[in-house]
Amino acid sequence: MAAPKTISIKLKVWRQSNPEAKGEFKTYQATDVSPHMSFLEMLDVVNGDIIKAGDDPIAFDHDCREGICGSCGAVVNGEAHGPKSQVTLCQLHMRSFNDGDEITLEPWRASAFPVVKDLVVDRSAFDRIIAAGGYISVKTGSAPDAHCLPVSKVDADAAFDAAQCIGCGACVAACPNASASLFVGAKVSQFSLLPQGQPERKSRVKKMVWQMDSEGFGNCSNAFACEAACPKGITVDFISRMNREL
Amino acid sequence: MLTSIPSIRKKQIIAVTGVMLFGFLLAHLSGNFLIFKGPEALNAYAQFLHDLGPVLWGMRIGLIAAFVLHMFFTALVVVENVKARKARYAVTKDQGEHRTLLVRLMPYTGVTIFAYLIFHLLDFTFVEKTGFINGVDYGLYGLVVNTLSNPIHGGLYIIAMLAIGVHLAHAMQSVVQTFGFANKCIRPKLVQASMVIGFGIALAYCAIPIYLISCAGSGCLVK
Ligand code: HEM
Ligand code: FES
Repeated sequence: MAAPKTISIKLKVWRQSNPEAKGEFKTYQATDVSPHMSFLEMLDVVNGDIIKAGDDPIAFDHDCREGICGSCGAVVNGEAHGPKSQVTLCQLHMRSFNDGDEITLEPWRASAFPVVKDLVVDRSAFDRIIAAGGYISVKTGSAPDAHCLPVSKVDADAAFDAAQCIGCGACVAACPNASASLFVGAKVSQFSLLPQGQPERKSRVKKMVWQMDSEGFGNCSNAFACEAACPKGITVDFISRMNREL
Repeated sequence: MLTSIPSIRKKQIIAVTGVMLFGFLLAHLSGNFLIFKGPEALNAYAQFLHDLGPVLWGMRIGLIAAFVLHMFFTALVVVENVKARKARYAVTKDQGEHRTLLVRLMPYTGVTIFAYLIFHLLDFTFVEKTGFINGVDYGLYGLVVNTLSNPIHGGLYIIAMLAIGVHLAHAMQSVVQTFGFANKCIRPKLVQASMVIGFGIALAYCAIPIYLISCAGSGCLVK
């Protein structure tokens, strides 16, 4: 079998050494890129070259590299997580690009997500929103009887759809207003749909929305760019649900 | 105080006042259409409104309040939205079926509507209601005919009406989502209905200047 054809890509990457630095785009050439590589593997190779040249490698967040942890993410040519729908950056493959393509890589841009370094942003605002109300209070101790809390199939499915959110922040990155409504909508809905979420239902949505607003995210203008960017296919129906819950 | 209003409530205030303004647009349009019936019908309708006295003032105050609240809260929301993304992207691409374009236009179409409103009040509200056609005073009817049959003046009205159309094309379905009653089953229908309502209303309003320009004003009376 013939060796797989490789492609070569011109990368324009946002480089910012620390939160206070001004930051600028730098250009790198990625040669001999296998189309089977993931986007992050391609960055690993580019970083190898950068390190060999004695420079600081491009910083980017990653962990599972299988699309489940929500760590990775960057805006690729204006699209959060790149051109493919419902994939994270780590699951995006270089076969989605053509030989000679120029790719502009930017971090999530939102005042509530300050840049830490290069493509790494501080998403602790999401953690504070969860801490404000994204939990349930239950009595610990002996295990409850099986099936003592009936949940309809419809509600279980909807709650599961909401719970698919991995908190990557692509919704904020894609939103023209840098709003976190899709994230908060999903987190509010996954509890409000289930019996375990009922006791704190009313106060939860208030507290989480309050925290979202104080973190400096924008307001939802119903542009629905978040839904298009979400790697987990979370729908804006959950924003609608949150609006009704408040 | 204002900062303690949740973002979602602010949007709901914008939505309620927007729907009130939409109600006004419908009522105003139905009155305006009397121009096709002739001078007596339109002037009688204007007289009827005037004779409402305090009721008319009640409606005016409600309308002004809706406008002021709508603009105040949109200004608040728009400023917050701009602040939420201080650093801009070098490359942007519309994700989400180009709906983001309509959304980005909202403040611009809104300001156009407001500018038009002032222009419109100066044209017809704060002036003497006289309009001579072939030497005869047709009152308000004559004023409207003489003003809008001018192609430049009438043309500006048409542009303003298109701004209303674009504003409503996004807004009408947006309201349903803002109140939390939209879902993926009805959303495509809502989006279509919003376009039809928005541009429908705009075209209906446009019919008036188009009619008056095409019959060059006084010609409309020759029947
Ligand atoms: C005939 C007059 C008007 C009508 C019928 C109207 C109606 C509406 C409606 C129904 C909405 C949707 C609210 C939602 O998303 O749920 C809206 C949004 C908006 N309106 Fe108006 N409006 C009018 C005039 C204005 C004016 C004069 C301005 C500003 C100067 C304005 C600025 C806006 C903005 C910026 C939004 C979008 C807010 C956002 O979603 O972020 N509108 N309008
Ligand atoms: S690295 Fe875990 S989702 Fe991409």
